[in-house]
Amino acid sequence: MSSTQALKSRIRSVQSTKQITKAMQLVAASKMRRAQEATKLSSPYTLAARQLLTALSTHSAVREHPLFVKRPVKTRLLIVVASDRGLAGAYNSNIFRLYANELKIDDKAGIRNTTITIGRKASQFVTRIKDTEVLGVYEELSDRPGESQLHAILESVRTLFTSGEVDAVDVLYTDFINSVRQDAVMRRVLPAGFEPANEPGVASDVLYEPSVETVLDGIAYRLVGAQIYQALLDARASEHSMRMMAMKSATDNASDLIDDLTLAMNKARQSAITQELAEISGGVEALND
Amino acid sequence: MHLQLITLNGVLVDQEIYELIAPTSAGEIAIFPGHEPLVTLATPGALVVRYHKTDSDEKLDYFAVSGGVIEVNQHAIRVLVDDADYGDDIVEADSKDALERAIKLRDEAKDQIELEKAHQLVDRHGVRLKVAELHRRRRR
Repeated sequence: MSSTQALKSRIRSVQSTKQITKAMQLVAASKMRRAQEATKLSSPYTLAARQLLTALSTHSAVREHPLFVKRPVKTRLLIVVASDRGLAGAYNSNIFRLYANELKIDDKAGIRNTTITIGRKASQFVTRIKDTEVLGVYEELSDRPGESQLHAILESVRTLFTSGEVDAVDVLYTDFINSVRQDAVMRRVLPAGFEPANEPGVASDVLYEPSVETVLDGIAYRLVGAQIYQALLDARASEHSMRMMAMKSATDNASDLIDDLTLAMNKARQSAITQELAEISGGVEALND
Repeated sequence: MHLQLITLNGVLVDQEIYELIAPTSAGEIAIFPGHEPLVTLATPGALVVRYHKTDSDEKLDYFAVSGGVIEVNQHAIRVLVDDADYGDDIVEADSKDALERAIKLRDEAKDQIELEKAHQLVDRHGVRLKVAELHRRRRR
């Protein structure tokens, strides 16, 4: 009898776990939808900034601008975007695998490595690593990182790059391709890259106020900001999407487990009944003898 | 003349207009159709839109914008700002509170970073409040 009792309590506990994972799945699904919309909304901004920059690229000032200068890479800054919370499937481990790989590459090439982490899981991860120097830690960013949060990250990245402290800046984040596919990727943000204009001559008629340099400064800064912002949004959408998938499979597994346990319980109950019947009929036989 | 107001949170305006008054680093400028090609920096302030030539001042639309870039050519204007709010969407009392909080924050700032942040907040909410007032006046 005790085994049916134990099975019953196990079923109950699995059931409550299932309820939780189901709820998390639904929450992640709705958050994912919102995050996905946000990634779409910010893309016209990035596009426009890039077009403006392309138009400007005929000016020689572009090549000399501090955000575009290509230097031999001696120190590299990696911005690692992970989540604040776990239970998101392979989301964090994918990013960390890519990150560890990049650290190894830098180590081999003799490049000094520095890191800025975004998300609590990332900051926990870097404390266990010796190959890098942590320059900044950002945690608990909102689903739509506001101006001030983005500004803080952007400002420190710009200062590090223009002062020559780092020679290249890469962002490691999870690219949101669609709701079933997300890839951990690395994108270069600084020095700011762009495609030179194919049709020259248009830019020369345009008036730049107050000067080409200041306008360029404003655009380049915004483009870099938009790229980081886009990476943050993409990472967020991926996180929710992967959490949703992880929770969905957890819910499915819980359902399977409940089915198995219920079957086992029914079997145990039936065998207990059979046993009792056998005992009773055995007892009756004994009395008759 | 086509106006596009693009922010990090989406495209706010994408339509034909007649006149645009924009805050730039060289002061406020008004842009009409046929303006010479220009690229300039926008400063935090009120962006004013007149949709048709015959529209009276009561029909103007106001936007509170943060810093950004303005690109003008013969037929189109593109305003690229980090953040913008439509005048109608701003609640005046809320931005007044926010402005007061920001000013308090500025006065109590302990280091340079806090001060810088508070200055930005003061600018931002100041602009929002101004736009909300302009918008209210227009509705009367």
